[in-house]
Amino acid sequence: MTKNAVAERPAAGLAAVRSRLPGYGVYLAVGLLMLYNIVFTPYFLTLSNLRIQLIQVAPIVIVALGMALVIGTEGIDLSVGSVMALAAALIPLYLGYGVVAAIGVSLAAGVAVGLINGVLVARVGLQPIVATLAVFVGGRGLAVVVSDGQLKDIRNPDVLHLGSGDLLGIPVLVWIAAVLVALVAFVLRRTVFGRRLLAVGGNRRAAELAGLPVGRVLITVYVICAVLASIAGLLSVARIQSSDASAVGLLIELSAITAVVVGGTPLTGGRVRILGTVAGAVLMQLVIATMIKHDLGPSTAEMAQAVIILVAVWVARERKSR
Amino acid sequence: MSVRSNRWRRPAVAVLGAAMVLGAAGACAKSEESPTSGATGPAPAASQVVQSAAAGAATCTIDQYGGTKVDLKTAKVGFSQSEKEANPFRIAETRSIEDEAARLGITNLTTANANSQFNKQISDVEQMIDSGVQLLVIAPLNSDGWDSVFAKASAKKVPIITIDRKINATACKDYLTFIGSDFAEQGKRAADEMAKALGNKGEVAILLGAPGNNVTTLRTSGFKDQIAKVAPDIKVTFEQTGNFSREEGQKVTEQLLQSNPNINGIYGENDEMALGAVTALKGAGKKAGDIKIVSIDGTKGAVEGIVNGWISAVIESNPRFGPLAFDTATRFFAGEAVGQDIIIADRAYDTTNARADVGSAY
Amino acid sequence: MTLLEVAGVSKSFPGVRALDDVSFTLRPGEVHALVGENGAGKSTLIKVLTGVYRPDSGELRHHGRPVSFAAPMDAQRAGISTIYQEVNLIPLMSVAQNLFLGREPRNRLGLIDRGRMEREARGILADYGVTTDVRRQLGTLPLGAQQMVALARAVMIDAQVVIMDEPTSSLEPREVQTLFGVIRRLHARGIGIVYVSHRMDELYEICDSVTILRDGRLVHTGRLADLERIELVSMMLGREMSQTRRQGFTAFAGDHTTDDAAPPVLRVTGLTSRTRLHDISFDVRPGEVVGLGGLLGAGRSETIKAIGGAYPLDAGTVEVDGTHLERPSTVRAVAAGIAVQPEDRKAEGIVAGLSVRDNIALAVLPRMSRLGIVSDAKIDAVVARYMTRLRIKASGPDQLVGDLSGGNQQKVLLARLLATRPKVLLLDEPTRGIDVGAKAEVQSLIDELAGEGLGVVLVSSDAEELVEGSDRVVVLRDGAVVGHLTGDRVTTEDLMAGIAAAAPSEDHT
Repeated sequence: MTKNAVAERPAAGLAAVRSRLPGYGVYLAVGLLMLYNIVFTPYFLTLSNLRIQLIQVAPIVIVALGMALVIGTEGIDLSVGSVMALAAALIPLYLGYGVVAAIGVSLAAGVAVGLINGVLVARVGLQPIVATLAVFVGGRGLAVVVSDGQLKDIRNPDVLHLGSGDLLGIPVLVWIAAVLVALVAFVLRRTVFGRRLLAVGGNRRAAELAGLPVGRVLITVYVICAVLASIAGLLSVARIQSSDASAVGLLIELSAITAVVVGGTPLTGGRVRILGTVAGAVLMQLVIATMIKHDLGPSTAEMAQAVIILVAVWVARERKSR
Repeated sequence: MSVRSNRWRRPAVAVLGAAMVLGAAGACAKSEESPTSGATGPAPAASQVVQSAAAGAATCTIDQYGGTKVDLKTAKVGFSQSEKEANPFRIAETRSIEDEAARLGITNLTTANANSQFNKQISDVEQMIDSGVQLLVIAPLNSDGWDSVFAKASAKKVPIITIDRKINATACKDYLTFIGSDFAEQGKRAADEMAKALGNKGEVAILLGAPGNNVTTLRTSGFKDQIAKVAPDIKVTFEQTGNFSREEGQKVTEQLLQSNPNINGIYGENDEMALGAVTALKGAGKKAGDIKIVSIDGTKGAVEGIVNGWISAVIESNPRFGPLAFDTATRFFAGEAVGQDIIIADRAYDTTNARADVGSAY
Repeated sequence: MTLLEVAGVSKSFPGVRALDDVSFTLRPGEVHALVGENGAGKSTLIKVLTGVYRPDSGELRHHGRPVSFAAPMDAQRAGISTIYQEVNLIPLMSVAQNLFLGREPRNRLGLIDRGRMEREARGILADYGVTTDVRRQLGTLPLGAQQMVALARAVMIDAQVVIMDEPTSSLEPREVQTLFGVIRRLHARGIGIVYVSHRMDELYEICDSVTILRDGRLVHTGRLADLERIELVSMMLGREMSQTRRQGFTAFAGDHTTDDAAPPVLRVTGLTSRTRLHDISFDVRPGEVVGLGGLLGAGRSETIKAIGGAYPLDAGTVEVDGTHLERPSTVRAVAAGIAVQPEDRKAEGIVAGLSVRDNIALAVLPRMSRLGIVSDAKIDAVVARYMTRLRIKASGPDQLVGDLSGGNQQKVLLARLLATRPKVLLLDEPTRGIDVGAKAEVQSLIDELAGEGLGVVLVSSDAEELVEGSDRVVVLRDGAVVGHLTGDRVTTEDLMAGIAAAAPSEDHT
C-alpha cells in the first residue's frame, strides 16, 4: 500500500500518536485510571489494595491468555467459562484421591474440551464461534450434572493454599498467573509453535501452502486455551473455597475477549499482544474497583466498560483503515 | 476428498474416547471427607407455618373460582420450577414438593424445570394443562407475561398455586392463591438483628442482590427503613451488588474492606454473598466477630457460620412449600375458603438457636 | 478542449509523498495510458480523479471548470466511471438486473418491465461480445464477461470518462480483443478513457497518449506513438537507455544445459481430479525449466497446486527424485522438496502482518530450532543470506511484508521457498503485478536456480516470458495435455499456434 519509506522514517506528531494508540493506548488508560485513584480514592496506594486487585484479576488474566492465542489464529473460544465450570465441578469429586489427582482430572477435562474444539475447527472445518458454542452451551450443563447441581465447600488445605496462600509475601494465585504470562509470552515469541500460530492467524491458506501443519497448530491452540481455562477454574474454586458449577466462570468469555481486544490484539488474527492483554484485564479490573470503591451503581460500571470497549474498537479501526 | 476425510476421523475418535473416559470416571469419583457431622443425611425439615390469619383477609372458595372437586391422591398434579436446582433454595423447594406429594400418596406428579428461561416455563405449564393436570403449582420466573397460561387454565378451571414469587394478576380469578415470604419483612427483621449485633451504632455495608429483582428491592427497602427507625446511629455507607453469588460477594467485600476500613457490619441479601464475605474477611486477616454479618435465606452453610461465630444472625426464607401448598389445595378442593395471599412465617437463626437448629436448615 | 484535467496536484500520507505536483490532461475521445512502476502514484492519481481522495494542493478541472469532488458519488454524477480489476456488481442478481440496477425500465403501471429490460440488455451486451442469457445470475458468468457487464453499465450511466485499472489482468486474449473493440467504439463516441496496464503490447495497440509517473512525480506525457518501447520502459525505471536495451524485454539468458540422460527430479503421472484435470503427465529434469502453457482455466494452476498437495486428486502420482509421494498433502510435499509459489500472492503467499524475517523463515522453523525453541541467530543468518541474494529492498528484516512493494513481496515469498532447499520449484505467474525492475530480477533468478540444478515448472500468461524462460513447454487445454514444444519450436508463434490449434469451440460458459 505504501512505500518502504514509511517504516524507515519516524512518523511525526498526531499521526504517530494515533498509529501507536491501538498498541499502547491500554497502558495509557491504566496509567490515567491509577493516577485518578491515587488522588481521589482513599487507601488506594496501599499494598493490601494492590494485593486484592492482583488476586481478583488473576483468573481473568489466565483465561485471557488462552483467548489471546485463539484470537491470534483468527478464532474465538466461547467455551472457556464452561471449561472453568467443568474443572470446578470435578475438583471436589476427586479430592478423595488427593490434590494432585483432582487437579489432574480437572486439567484432563480441559484437554478433552480443547481437543473437541480444536478438531471441530481444524478438521471438520466449523467456524470457531460455532464449534465452541457447543461446549459453551453443553459444558456448563454437564458440569452442573456432574456436581449434582450442588455447591460444594472445599476444605482441603492444599487447595485452599492455592487460593489464599502466600509465597515470599506474594499470593500464590498471583505467582501462578505471572508464571503463566511469562510462559505464554515465551511460547509465542521463542518457539516454533508460537511463530506458526501467528502465521496461521495471519494467512491460513499461505501457511498451508508453506507446508505448515495448520491443523495441528489449531488443535494445540484450543487445547492450550482450554487447559488455561481449567487452571483458572480450579484457582477460582480454591479462592472462593467452594465449587459452584453454575456460577464459576459465568460470562468470563466476554471479560476475556474484552481484555484481549482492549489490549490491542486484533480480532483478525496474526498478531497477539500478551502484555497488552494483561493490561487490558487490569484496566477492566481497575474500572470495577474504582466503581465499587466510590460506591457507584453496577450500571455505571457497565457503561464505563462499554465506553472503553467502544474506544478500543474505534482505535483499532482507525489503524486498519490506514 | 476421501484422503481428507480420513485425516480428521482418527483424532475425532480419540476425542470422543477421551470424553467417554472422562464421563465413565465419574463413576469412581471420591469426594473429600466432610468434617461436619450435621451435613450428612436428611435432617428433620422445618415445614412452613402461616404467619398470620389476619381477620378480613381475602379468601377464595371453589365456588368463587369455579371448577370441580377432585381427590388429590388420584389427581394429576403439575409443578413448574423456575430456575435450575443449583442453589440450596431451589433444591429444597423442589424436594419439598416432591416429598410431600409422595407422603400424601399423589402418584401422578409431573415436574418441569424452566432453567431460567421464561419461554420454556410458559410452554412447560401449557403442556401440563394440555395433558390434563387438575392442580398446578408454579414457582414463577417472572411476575408478568402469564396471560396465555391463565386463559388456558381458566378455560379448564385448573387451580394455580404460585409459590415464592408473586404473579401480577388477580387472585381467585387468574390464579387461586400465592404462598410466599414477605421479603420486605425479611429485610426489616435483618435490620433488627443488625441493630442488636452492633448495639445500635456503626457503619453498615449492603451486599445487594441481582439488580432489578423485586427480592433485592424489597429486602433493601425493608432493611433501610427499619434501620432508620430503630437505630438511626447506624449509617448505611456502602451498597454494591454481589448478584446473589458467593464469588461476587467475596470480591466486593475484599474491595470494601480495603477502601472502607470503618465498616462494622455487612448485610448480605442472601446467604451465598454473606459466605463470600466471610471468605473475604478471613483473607483480610479479620477474626470471627470483628465485623458483624447478617443475611437472609437460612441455608445450612450460613447457619454453620453462626455456630462458628462469623455470622451474627440469619433470617430464614423457607423454601419448603410442599406441605402448605398441598394442604391449601386439599382444603380448597374440600370446599373450604383459603387465603388469597398466604404469607409464611420465616424463622430466624442466631447464636441462641443456631447450634440446635443447624440440622433443620436446608 | 479538455474533458478532465488535474493541475499541479500533490497528495501526502504520513511518511510518504504519494503525488508531487502532478498534472494530467484527458481530452474527449482519447485513450490515455497511465503507466508507472508499483508505487509510482497511479492509484493515488485515480483516487483523486474519482473523488476518493482530496488533493492537498493543486486543482481538478472538469470541462475546464474547477471542481471539487467531496465523495465518489459526486465524480460518478459528473460522468466519471471506474472499472476495477474486481467487479463491483451483485453476483446473485441476473445480468440484466445488474445492468439496469436503479434505472429499470417501467411499464404503464410503474412496475419493472422485465421483458423490455431483458430485450434491451441483450442488445446492449451484444455490442460488448456478451451473448449469454441475460437472465443468468451474474456470478455464474466467467470473470471476463462480468467485467464487460460492468463496463456496459458504466458506459450506460452517461459516462464521459471511463477509468480502467488493469482491466485485462483476468481476461483471456479473445476477451481482450472484445474489450479493445468496445474501447474503440467509446473512443469514436468522444468518451475519454484512462487506461492503466502493465502490458506493453496492449498499450501500444489501444492507447493514443501516455502519462508516465515515477516516485509520485510526472516524468513524461505525450503521444504514445512518438515514444519507442525502450524509451517508455527506461522512463518508468529511470534507467539509462543503453542498459535497458541491452537487457531486452525479459532477463532470461536462454536455454539451460541439461543432461538429457539424467533421471527426472519430478515425474507427474496421470493427475486426474474430477472435471478439472485429466490424466496429466510430464517430467522435469534437474536444471530444466518446463513451462505450462494454455489459456485461463486450462488447468495450469490446478496442476501446480495438485503437485504441491493443495488440490484434491482422484488419481495420479507424483515422484520426486524417484520417490513416490504417498498420501499427498502440503506438509508432505514441502518435506519431499516441492516448493509452490501460488498465483495469488496476497491471498495464498505472503503473511502480510508478519515481518520479512518471519515470512522467510516460516517453512523452515523446525530446522532453525532445538526442542521447539527457535534460534534467532540461525534465522537471521538465513534471512540475511536470502535478502542479499534476492536483493530484497526493505528497511530491514523487521519490516512488515504488507508494507513492501509487490516485487519485494514476491521476492520474500521466493526466499521462503528457497529456504526449504527444494528440489523442484513450481512458479505460478511469478512476475504478475510486479514492477519492471523486479520482474527482470525474478526472471534472472529463475535462470540462476535452474543453473544450480533445480527443476522448475513455470506458469505465465505472458507468452514472451513463458517462451524465453522455458526449455520446454507443455501445452494444456481443459485440464489435459494437448501438446509439447521442444527445442526450436519453443517460440511465441508456436505457442500461439499450439494454443490456437487446441482452442476449444466458442463455448465459454
